[in-house]
Amino acid sequence: MEFLLELLTEELPASHIRSALEHLDGRFRQELEAARVGVSDLKTIATPRRLVVVGDFAPGQEDREAVVTGPPKSVGIGPDGAFTQAAKGFARSQGISESALEVVRTPKGEYLGFKKKSTGSPTREILAESVPRILGSLAFPKMMRWGTSPFRFSRPIHNLLCLFDGKPLDLAFEGLKAVDSTVGHRILSPKKFRVGSFAEYKTLLAENYVIVDPAERRAIILAQIAEKLAPLKARVYPDPDLLEELIDNVEHPLVILGAFPESFLSLPMEVLSTAMRKHQKFFSVLRDNKQLPHFLGVADAREDAKGLIRSGNERVLKARLEDARFFWGEDRKVSLADRAEGLRSVVFQEKLGSYEDKAQRLKKIGSYLCDKLEAAKVKKDVAEAAGLCKADLLTEMVKEFPSLQGKMGGLYAREEGYPAAVHEAIYEHYLPAGLEDDSPSSVPGAVLSLADKLDSIVGVVGVGVEVSGSSDPFGLRRNALGVCKVILDREFRFSFPLLVDNVLAAYGDRLTVKRDSVKRYILEFFAGRLRFILEKQGFRYDLIGAALGPGIQQVHDVLLRVRALDSLKASPQFEPFILMAKRTNNILRDQPAAKLNPDLFVEKEERDLFSAFSIIEHNASPMIARGDFVRAQTIIFKLQPVLNAFFDGVLVMAGEKKLRQNRLGLLQAINRMFSGMADYSQVVVEGERPAKQGAPR
Amino acid sequence: MSVQDLILNLHKFWAAQGCYLAQTYDLEVGAGTMTPDTFFRVLDRRPWKVGYVQPSRRPTDGRYGENPNRVQKHFQYQVIMKPSPDDIQDIYVRSLASLGIALEDHDLRFDEDNWESPTIGAWGVGWQVLLDGLEITQFTYFQQCGGIELSPVPVEITYGLERLEMFLEQKDDIYDLDWSSDVTYRDLRHREEREFSEYNFTAADVDTLRRAFQASAKEAARLIARGLLLPAYDMCLKCSHNFNLLDSRRAISVTERVKMIAEIRALVNAIARKFTAGKEEA
Repeated sequence: MEFLLELLTEELPASHIRSALEHLDGRFRQELEAARVGVSDLKTIATPRRLVVVGDFAPGQEDREAVVTGPPKSVGIGPDGAFTQAAKGFARSQGISESALEVVRTPKGEYLGFKKKSTGSPTREILAESVPRILGSLAFPKMMRWGTSPFRFSRPIHNLLCLFDGKPLDLAFEGLKAVDSTVGHRILSPKKFRVGSFAEYKTLLAENYVIVDPAERRAIILAQIAEKLAPLKARVYPDPDLLEELIDNVEHPLVILGAFPESFLSLPMEVLSTAMRKHQKFFSVLRDNKQLPHFLGVADAREDAKGLIRSGNERVLKARLEDARFFWGEDRKVSLADRAEGLRSVVFQEKLGSYEDKAQRLKKIGSYLCDKLEAAKVKKDVAEAAGLCKADLLTEMVKEFPSLQGKMGGLYAREEGYPAAVHEAIYEHYLPAGLEDDSPSSVPGAVLSLADKLDSIVGVVGVGVEVSGSSDPFGLRRNALGVCKVILDREFRFSFPLLVDNVLAAYGDRLTVKRDSVKRYILEFFAGRLRFILEKQGFRYDLIGAALGPGIQQVHDVLLRVRALDSLKASPQFEPFILMAKRTNNILRDQPAAKLNPDLFVEKEERDLFSAFSIIEHNASPMIARGDFVRAQTIIFKLQPVLNAFFDGVLVMAGEKKLRQNRLGLLQAINRMFSGMADYSQVVVEGERPAKQGAPR
Repeated sequence: MSVQDLILNLHKFWAAQGCYLAQTYDLEVGAGTMTPDTFFRVLDRRPWKVGYVQPSRRPTDGRYGENPNRVQKHFQYQVIMKPSPDDIQDIYVRSLASLGIALEDHDLRFDEDNWESPTIGAWGVGWQVLLDGLEITQFTYFQQCGGIELSPVPVEITYGLERLEMFLEQKDDIYDLDWSSDVTYRDLRHREEREFSEYNFTAADVDTLRRAFQASAKEAARLIARGLLLPAYDMCLKCSHNFNLLDSRRAISVTERVKMIAEIRALVNAIARKFTAGKEEA
């Protein structure tokens, strides 16, 4: 039977809508399952003013049969085989006839009892009780009160339409009694109307200028955009997040194509698109990858026959662009170098000094990284960019559009005639903004990005901030992901722990936490971030654990290790080898270091193993050192049959101490080579249960 | 419709909703919210309805009279209804219709925008109201003021009069607006914008402003101790305006900014606490 719920509210923020729908879906399923009500269909949809749940539920709860036990059989049935007084009393108390009693086997023995059938309640009754509870469980990131009530919600609520099988349910939520009516579009058709089913609800809403299904609103927006752009032979600059937001912002979408004076095209594209996007929620329009003096907006309206909505939006955008042009002109009156002087009085972090202090550290860290990356020829450019990269925080444009930080600095540096390496590095140094975003395309940009992020991380951890749960006030996670992504994308090879040491040194005595603790925390934290990235890339949990085993001396090696394991995991040698490696590892557990002396070998199998290992190690070690893990692993596989023969033919724990020590020493040497490749003990092979499962950090 | 017709219309509309029409407050404020007709009246439990025009001074927004959209002083029409009526959004929409705006030909949007004023320890939840993309009103369910949780909840509706008028007259330049049938916005305000921009950005004496800030803060604290809360609050408004001027003179570092705002907030919160003490039962 059909269930339909609509909670009519004042305009909800788009971000609240999405989380509310997920919550409603989950809670309805959970409550109905717990109440044994069959759900054949459940869907949640919304507009800015409506949270809607529509479903197809069984008419009633499933019937249930339970066994009720009474006295033990020995008490309930007399020697004559007839029911005793105790049995009769039990039947009476349960309101059943004696003939319904039967012997029931339980773990405690045989008892008298009977099967009690309980008929399920009608779903109407279940819903009447659970709907207010489900609605009451909705929570939002920011909640408000209104009027005189202490009740909190995202925005005030106005009406509760709630039908089951076409009729309103007998329930109330925060003073709203469930009804069978709702209203149309706030401006275009605010009248009230009654509905009896979801089909009718949807149709009547559409007649009253509300497209209730977000999927339909999306289709309408996309079709209208295509239609508007066809004559221009242009395309929209794709912006999926903006599209999602706009879908949740309107009840009756209407795409508006507007124009702005061409003279504004002399503004940088970054400025144009940000002014359009951030303030006005407009899409940019491109032809041949060039920005056109047009924009696309989504109105909540029926039509724009008089062109009033278009011209109104055009006026507003023009004013915004005039402001941007004013900033672009004013900002360039002061050189970046002069502006950078002002960074002295801008606090980076209370205990970590000013942005000028940060710039000085970035020069040092950048220089160190250039040496390590054999990029000495850009050292000068990196140092110059480091000194200027934060100056744009003091420009009017960045104050107006904070998301343009870095980019504006780069653009202003370009205007001032700095070399490309310098202005590009400034432009790119906040990249990547997330895992989906591109890393800096230039080496100086990548170096500055690494230096800036790691400087922030080390500094913040160094004054005692730690990340826990959802709390990450200084963006440590985001910065650490950025660092990992840049290293992985650019395949940079340098010692990560030594870089951390270098950043720690750049801070001098500013930090309040001991250097070793900061370093330990950061290495662990980065291992967690790398695990997160690799899981996102779809690698197996256990293989990631194995790849992280040797540590993050080289960040890039962790990726190469897990790739190697992943590419070889299906090969026939893989599983036997892993089992052998684990066996080796297990034997050595808790054994003190033992000395290996090749002269002491007795058996052929141990001599064979030693010579095979010597050759394999000689070949594999340089491969491991340069990160060629696939080839190294392929060679190491060859040790498996020899190890196997060794275990079959040689008693490791020999009675004679000398022999035992020597054999353990050999296995320890082999294990050392293994642990440079991966921590094989983490790998789960068939027939084993997962050794260790944990949630990603 | 001229600016003054707009004001007369709004007066008439909100008077019909039972609002008392207050006169403009005689001190510099950054927003209509800061005047005593809002600040003190939202704190207690008594119903309150008021509408008034308040000039709002934002020194950093000065553009020497050269920008068609930004000015360092603009006019707000401020409405407070406490408790917030159930149909307040409809009432507001009717107020726009009463100005002759045919809303079905336009795009009216309630766009998420939560308001807060750290200086007076106030925040609220609501929207900026956009008419064809132009922000014409700030619509806020006030949750807290002077650090005090408000109950009943007042709703605050702040129309930007120049914005709304530019929409009504379909003009691109604020200075072309008609204030009345024969006086333009330029006649009234252009010289003021030019001179005050220069004062705000270059001429104002930083030391004098700093001393004035400290003197008002000290005076506020003294008056709070004597229980003279309305005069004390005036002193806080002076602090706030001097702070804004120092800001437009770029004389405040980031740390100083945080400290000064906290200083004003502490005074304002103390006033709000004293003002509400013992009024719970009212």
